[in-house]
Amino acid sequence: MATQTLPEFIADVTGLGTYGVGGEIVAAIIGAGIVGTIMLTYTGIAGPWAKRKITAAFTDRYAVNRMGPFGLLTIPADAVRLLSKELIIPENVDRPAFDIAPLIVAGSALLGFAVIPMGSLFGINLQIADPEAGLAFVFAVASIATLGLTMAGYASANKFSFMGALRAIAQNIAYEIPLVLTAASVVLFAGSLQMSEIVAAQTLGGGTEPLLAVAGLEIPPWFAFVNPFAFVLFMIANLAEVGRNPFDIPEAPTEIVAGYQTEYSSVYFVLIYLGEFLHIFLGGAIAATVFLGGPAGPILPGFVWFTIKIWGVFLFTQWARSAVPRVRIDQLISIGWKGMLVLSFVNLILTAVLVGVIV
Amino acid sequence: MSLEKSRDDALDAAGDVDPQAILDLLGDRVLDTEEHLNADIAVVVRPDAVEETLLALRDEAGFDHCSLVTAQEYEDRYESIYHLKQYDDPTNEVSVVVPAAKDDPVSESGNAAYRTCDWHEREAYDLVGIEYENHPDLRRILMPETWQGHPLSMDYDQDRPQVVTLGEHDNPLKDDHRDEDSDTMFLNIGPHHPATHGVLHAKTVLDGETVADVDPDIGYLHRCEEQMAQNGTYRHQIMPYPDRWDYGSAGLLNEYAYARAAEDLADIEVPEYAQVIRTMGAELCRIAAHMLAVGTFALDVYGDFTAIFQYAFRDREVVQNILEDLTGQRMMFNYFRLGGVAWDLPEPREDFFELTRDFLDGLPGKLEEYHDLITSNEIFQLRCVGTGVVEPEVAKSYGATGPVARASGVDYDVRRDDPYGYYDELDWDVVTEDGKDNYARVLCRLQEVEESAKIIEQCVDLLEEWPEEERTIQSNVPRTLKPENDTETYRAVEGAKGELGIYMRADGTDKPGRFKIRSPCYSNLQMLPEMAQGEYIPDLIASLGSLDIILGEVDR
Amino acid sequence: MIGILKGMATTMKHALKGEKFTVQYPEETPEVSARFRGVHKFSQERCIWCRQCENVCPNDTIHIVTDDQRQGEEYNLHIGQCIYCRLCEEVCPVDAILLTQNFEFTGDTKDELVYNKEQLKNVPWYKDIDPLESREPDRGAWIGEGDGEVDYQ
Repeated sequence: MATQTLPEFIADVTGLGTYGVGGEIVAAIIGAGIVGTIMLTYTGIAGPWAKRKITAAFTDRYAVNRMGPFGLLTIPADAVRLLSKELIIPENVDRPAFDIAPLIVAGSALLGFAVIPMGSLFGINLQIADPEAGLAFVFAVASIATLGLTMAGYASANKFSFMGALRAIAQNIAYEIPLVLTAASVVLFAGSLQMSEIVAAQTLGGGTEPLLAVAGLEIPPWFAFVNPFAFVLFMIANLAEVGRNPFDIPEAPTEIVAGYQTEYSSVYFVLIYLGEFLHIFLGGAIAATVFLGGPAGPILPGFVWFTIKIWGVFLFTQWARSAVPRVRIDQLISIGWKGMLVLSFVNLILTAVLVGVIV
Repeated sequence: MSLEKSRDDALDAAGDVDPQAILDLLGDRVLDTEEHLNADIAVVVRPDAVEETLLALRDEAGFDHCSLVTAQEYEDRYESIYHLKQYDDPTNEVSVVVPAAKDDPVSESGNAAYRTCDWHEREAYDLVGIEYENHPDLRRILMPETWQGHPLSMDYDQDRPQVVTLGEHDNPLKDDHRDEDSDTMFLNIGPHHPATHGVLHAKTVLDGETVADVDPDIGYLHRCEEQMAQNGTYRHQIMPYPDRWDYGSAGLLNEYAYARAAEDLADIEVPEYAQVIRTMGAELCRIAAHMLAVGTFALDVYGDFTAIFQYAFRDREVVQNILEDLTGQRMMFNYFRLGGVAWDLPEPREDFFELTRDFLDGLPGKLEEYHDLITSNEIFQLRCVGTGVVEPEVAKSYGATGPVARASGVDYDVRRDDPYGYYDELDWDVVTEDGKDNYARVLCRLQEVEESAKIIEQCVDLLEEWPEEERTIQSNVPRTLKPENDTETYRAVEGAKGELGIYMRADGTDKPGRFKIRSPCYSNLQMLPEMAQGEYIPDLIASLGSLDIILGEVDR
Repeated sequence: MIGILKGMATTMKHALKGEKFTVQYPEETPEVSARFRGVHKFSQERCIWCRQCENVCPNDTIHIVTDDQRQGEEYNLHIGQCIYCRLCEEVCPVDAILLTQNFEFTGDTKDELVYNKEQLKNVPWYKDIDPLESREPDRGAWIGEGDGEVDYQ
């Protein structure tokens, strides 16, 4: 059940479709620009403003409340401040790698948003592309960020950055497999890797039945309810992949100063900082699509529900950050390879048995 | 145990030190005896017999705690004093005085007997100029490596330029620490670092993520506190300074150390009412200091200003409000005076009691919160249980005191064993844990907060009922206080981090002749290599946090 | 896992309760105690130029210049260097120098923070609290056996 993707919509509306492939490419670029802007706006709100407000709520403080209504003018103020700083590049850095690394970190997250079905807003379906292997594409692209972190850490010619890079590699590799396996295990229920199919398998109406019908309230068959064990595993692996407490070892500020980010300032730092938040939102988007029904929800437009869900995941990461300590690198690796991997394999096999034999 | 049996030789029937037995034990190493106000006996030994003397006193007389090594210079000689106590009974004290020649001050090192002497003798070499033979690593500790002259010696020239050529100056940023054969990496942790509790420079040698060796480099916060105290009058001018040693809210505890030592030196009585107020103030400071310690430790383990740090600071603010009402300042109190305290409780007294009681009532709930957030957290336990292990014997050998030692099972608390103030009339317990690791230290501190709350509650009850005409807050002390010439004493109190002691020698003027501070963090920090070797970097950071050092006290 | 969940529940409780501990300065000025040690206020009428404050100051913050008749010409106090220990107030026999509760002073350079006797006279009271009033019951305490009756004319 593939609805019209955003570039197709733009091509129809603006008449670019008549120009053939070139027109479609231009429409795609416009569509990507729209989605990218939306996502960067979210990141811009999340980084300087929402993160501080949420942390302050947990710690009994007022946070940004001086500039503008509710402190929202802090966002442009922070942007100006960060971008106006001096771009310091130490002497011994490995030049091309040092410069490209922040772009990779931020770019890989933005690239992942290309296939996420974000629901419809005012009748426009906000999904840029819908390939048949959409889920595989998203995971592949999101893990390019590891390459970016490694480049940043290694190229910085700084022992603290170097250690951060090594830790990042170890962590990301260890938690990649449980992440993919748990997502794949619920996709067995949907029967397809195409993102829109996965969402459709969780949406009520048109063939899918509710999981439970309780007193007129129908609980949709979101995979989070169908297999909550996989959902929990996925959320934990997701925390590790984006580098948030308790798995923020690569940038552990109290041990290795700022890890791979140590030598970055001004624009590069903004890219890495925003890239980190983009990855959190991307992880939230994947979780929302695979487990929480994507843009499905009553009354409000699909896009609004999607926004609510990814911000909910963001809130969860901030909540974990406020209360959960950081694990040591060797404990992290052993949890990843010994704990999570085994559990996710068990989950996969059980799901396969369930789907194959029973359903 | 043979230790028990031989200790009885040195002790008489009452368990006190028998001076004659000590003299018999040491035999012909003793040159002379002196009178110190604190020690049961002070023996003067030859500079080349130090190691034998200390070993004899440790093994055969049972003095297993070397509190302090003082070094000073007189007109005709140099002198090192080893203050020895017993962990089981710190009122038994022996001072070993070691004179050294004026033109070539050399004396034997006591490091073979007590590991405490390692850093204490380095400081004596650095500041006064006495060289110690057989010392494993005699180099400057507080001053930079290239400093010329010894600041506390009499012939030190303050105006001499300290410019040293580049060749002699060791540049830690240079990469000549590369050793072609080894796989290790040298890393400078600090002095600019988010987690080193101040300006501490830890020279770490890493093997992957494992710490092969760590060498703490201190002295970045050396503010010549000892010399400033030697330039201030006893009665008034020294008292603001102790607040600034352990500046992590433990100001009154530091002032208590100075007050106790000076009152001992000049033989001043303190009225009972003032003692109760002093005790209450000191315990409030202890709660504030432990809140800070637990908060910053959580910062190290949890990363970055998370909830526990903020909650700890919020609770500390409440204590600071109480102390502000009492003393007038939130941090640098300058509240104690020789002979008592500066002023009585604020009027109206009922408001002050209500404020304190409200705080004490809210404290169990807050501690419950900390236990929910910290001690019952599995990941925290994963991080802290079994890391930074210090065996009790090692702790005793390094002279560790305070929560660090008590978490290793060493049952030593100056408030109970060498009582001062009103502590021996109140009902409270000393908290010891057996864990020996970082987790035990955090538990120890959290439980000590509860004990301090008990003490404060009893003090508040006492103060409320104290009859009005007997509320003397200060005994009569003359404006210019000149203790008798050549009296020396060493007195300690239980500071927030451990045994904070002051050695003072009066030279007949109104300023001290020598003022030496025994800082608990200094002796505790010495244990860092022992704690961190073979463990990972996060464990190193956690151990550093659990030692709870305040660089103001380490460097003075 | 239970411990971690308990910890997270605690922080969420705080977030939902919504009590704030911060004091929104400068809209709300904090309540300081009556004994708070802030900027000094100097009274030229009372000072007898005995130099006790200059002697007792631990870091030589007060500088007094008198002429050969021992009459005061200058009284300089560096409020940036002062450690606010209150010893000068304590030893002054005539209450010529007091520490008010005022902590709201600024200066653009360090030299601006050296107050002479005119500026010290004009230091405002914080929220109009006269510290002497709050300390009066304690004034006599440290005089030893004195009865503590101080007579302000």
